[in-house]
Amino acid sequence: MALLELQRVSKKFGGLIAVNDVSLEVEREEVAFLVGPNGAGKTTLFNLIAGMLHPDQGEIVFEGRDISHTSADRATKLGIGRTFQLVKPLRNLTVLENVMLGAFLHTSSTAVAAHEAGQILRFLQMEDVAHLPALGMPQAKLKRLEIARALATKPRLILLDEVVAGLSTSEALVLADLLARLREWGISAIGGVEHVMQVVMRIADRVLVLDHGTMIAEGTPEEVVHMPRVIEAYLGPKYKEFSK
Amino acid sequence: MTRSKSLIAAGLFAVCLLVPLVVRADYNLQVLFRVFLFAALGLAWNLVGGYAGQLSLGHAAYFGSGAYAMALLPPLGVSLWLALFLGIILAMAFAALIGGVSFRLRGPYFALATIAFAEVLRLLAKNLPSVTGGDVGIQVPSLFAHAINRSFYFAAVVLTAMAFSVTVWVSRSKFGYYLMAIREDEDTALSVGVNTARTKLKALFLSAGITALGGALYGSLFLFIVPDQVLSLDISNEIAIVAMLGGAGTVLGPILGSIILESASEIFKNVFHEAHLLIYGLLLVVVVMFLPEGIVGTVNSLLARRRATSATAAKSQAQRNSAP
Amino acid sequence: MDAFFSALQAILNGLLTGALYALVGMGMALIFGVMRIVNFAHGTFLMLGMYATYYIFEKTGLNPYFGFVLASAFLFCLGYLIYRGLIQHMPVHSDFMQILLTLGLALIFTDTIQLTFGADYHQLNLPLLAKNVHLGPQISLNAPWLVSFGLAVVLGSGMYWFVMHTRIGRAARAIAQNRYASPLVGINVHAVQAVSFGLGVAGAGIAGGLLLPVFYIYPTVGDQFTLKAFVMVVLGGMGSIQGAAVAGLVLGVVESLTSLYWGNEWALAVDFVIFLLVLSLRPAGIFGSQRV
Repeated sequence: MALLELQRVSKKFGGLIAVNDVSLEVEREEVAFLVGPNGAGKTTLFNLIAGMLHPDQGEIVFEGRDISHTSADRATKLGIGRTFQLVKPLRNLTVLENVMLGAFLHTSSTAVAAHEAGQILRFLQMEDVAHLPALGMPQAKLKRLEIARALATKPRLILLDEVVAGLSTSEALVLADLLARLREWGISAIGGVEHVMQVVMRIADRVLVLDHGTMIAEGTPEEVVHMPRVIEAYLGPKYKEFSK
Repeated sequence: MTRSKSLIAAGLFAVCLLVPLVVRADYNLQVLFRVFLFAALGLAWNLVGGYAGQLSLGHAAYFGSGAYAMALLPPLGVSLWLALFLGIILAMAFAALIGGVSFRLRGPYFALATIAFAEVLRLLAKNLPSVTGGDVGIQVPSLFAHAINRSFYFAAVVLTAMAFSVTVWVSRSKFGYYLMAIREDEDTALSVGVNTARTKLKALFLSAGITALGGALYGSLFLFIVPDQVLSLDISNEIAIVAMLGGAGTVLGPILGSIILESASEIFKNVFHEAHLLIYGLLLVVVVMFLPEGIVGTVNSLLARRRATSATAAKSQAQRNSAP
Repeated sequence: MDAFFSALQAILNGLLTGALYALVGMGMALIFGVMRIVNFAHGTFLMLGMYATYYIFEKTGLNPYFGFVLASAFLFCLGYLIYRGLIQHMPVHSDFMQILLTLGLALIFTDTIQLTFGADYHQLNLPLLAKNVHLGPQISLNAPWLVSFGLAVVLGSGMYWFVMHTRIGRAARAIAQNRYASPLVGINVHAVQAVSFGLGVAGAGIAGGLLLPVFYIYPTVGDQFTLKAFVMVVLGGMGSIQGAAVAGLVLGVVESLTSLYWGNEWALAVDFVIFLLVLSLRPAGIFGSQRV
């Protein structure tokens, strides 16, 4: 049984079809990437899986349980963690306190939460800023803070929307290597990226390509990059001939 | 709370309890009653307005519930202390109703809904004279028979101590962190598994209960209440201003705010009597434009910034020293 | 049959009142619905419009039906300055703070008026006031209400046209849709917002001026209108100026019928009840999009 299954999921906003009849599966300990230009529907899909939105059609099944109409907080309790495309640190709290927020899902003790948060910050190489306020942190650190907070909720699936957007290439690659280690923790991940392909190529087991809400391709990074439909979607029909 | 801070707080409250040895005049005790009452009310409001970041401008609903419970229930044979308790329950019931309706909504709808609800209660109290005495008002029995002003003063101190303890607990607990998360960004709170509606409601229950106690004490001391006094926008605003001036989201802020506002309103009694709305308005504008974190909050921020700069200064000094 | 005519009279009166409400609501729709500025002083501006028009009338004898123009010009400037001087420079821009700021302004203006003019109720003395227009033996409509109604319709349409069809109006709507992109297409965000805010406030002031002949004037008269304005915006649907206008008419009629059957004192309560009902059941309002 797949960890996460989407079966013919659609979502409309007024006249705009954001997600069009999308089906996909993510296995345990797999790192999948949703790839597609802005507006392709990646964030909407993430919001659907995370419970912030509910599909108009289709089903979302997580660990055998139908979560199509589950609320966002319930989805987190069930094991789905997420980061946001526009990072949302809690500015008036310290970095550590931000992460503790996630840790509180599994404990009521402030001390235990602080301890667990500390461990995660160490994993993400952020102990040095633990006690600084989240306000005014550079983007690279904020992205890691988002991930740390999501990890603190002990998810089995983590959704990373545009997790490398706004980072320099070297920063992105460093982060990618950290993410590749998620498998060690038994966490599956679905990342969403627009075009930082090096990250995708390095750590993805599978890539799913979205264009205008429809899934147009699926496969390993190698396979997908050469598919004519994908090249057409990204670069336009003129470049189709560059596929092999 | 650290042991030393707990001891200091306990010591201060003990001192407050000794004040009536020095201050005997009934009038002065009533002034002090007001200071502590609004400190407690401000602390209660702070749970919802400060920690959870939900602007309630209708706390008079809970204040008035406590007061009217004390007025309406004892004549039906209910004992005074039971009436007090039921006033709290009534306030919490209203909290469930208000919260249920408006917490689902974002933005300013919550504030508007709280005002609307308190106003509905005020209009009901005004327009149903057979039940509530209407505009003319209604009598409230006194909780205490002897040393009345001193007893009410003690009660107000105790109420403030309660509200203070609750606030301290909230500020360090998982509940408090969840409230702050809701204040900063509800989407983020949801994403870490916080049931935002339920958490906000819990804060509102606590807040409403303490506020109702305050209202009951107030009514019981002054022996007579009217809707335009205990269910008014004026009371709601005063509570909010006390907390905002002192510092919403801090533990000491509302206490400081009450000391400042209530003593000023006593010292400048005539001015306040004539122009208290003007003064409230000016305070609000000043707080919003210059002291959004209130006095205590601003001081905290300045201290934190000083610590951060000296920490980085120390770090760069250390780096310079260790460089070749 | 009498009952029918009473009801009809009440409905017609309600429509007349409702038109003025609509003007207030449209101003609020512009400020809150389009600009997303929470203005708890909207009713207070209406009150200032009333007092300004009244003052002009007392000092110069200028008929309020002309005086309100001057009053609204004054209020436009006031609104513009408030935006430029205060709102634009708020250290924390949240809804929370805007509410407190505008609430503070409302208190300041209300009390200043009270200290200056006293808390007494006043009423205007105009020969026009006593005239009534009769539609058949059973229905009579008060002349000044009709004049106010007519002016309100004209001005309301003007406001609608302004927001929909002028550059500034379009710019204001553009800012509401995407604040960050607007400067990129040459929109001076703060200037447009200041003008829009000034217009919204002027709208409230105009309504005040038009209400002067037919209402009692006293310092706290504006407070009920702030809430009514929000009710209209919510009922009509966020951001919908025409929705707020319709909601104003609805509100006027509902209040009027409530007064007829249950008495005046419940009319205000009905406003609140409508507000709470709409928020609970259909937060998007009549014309609303999903933007709550």
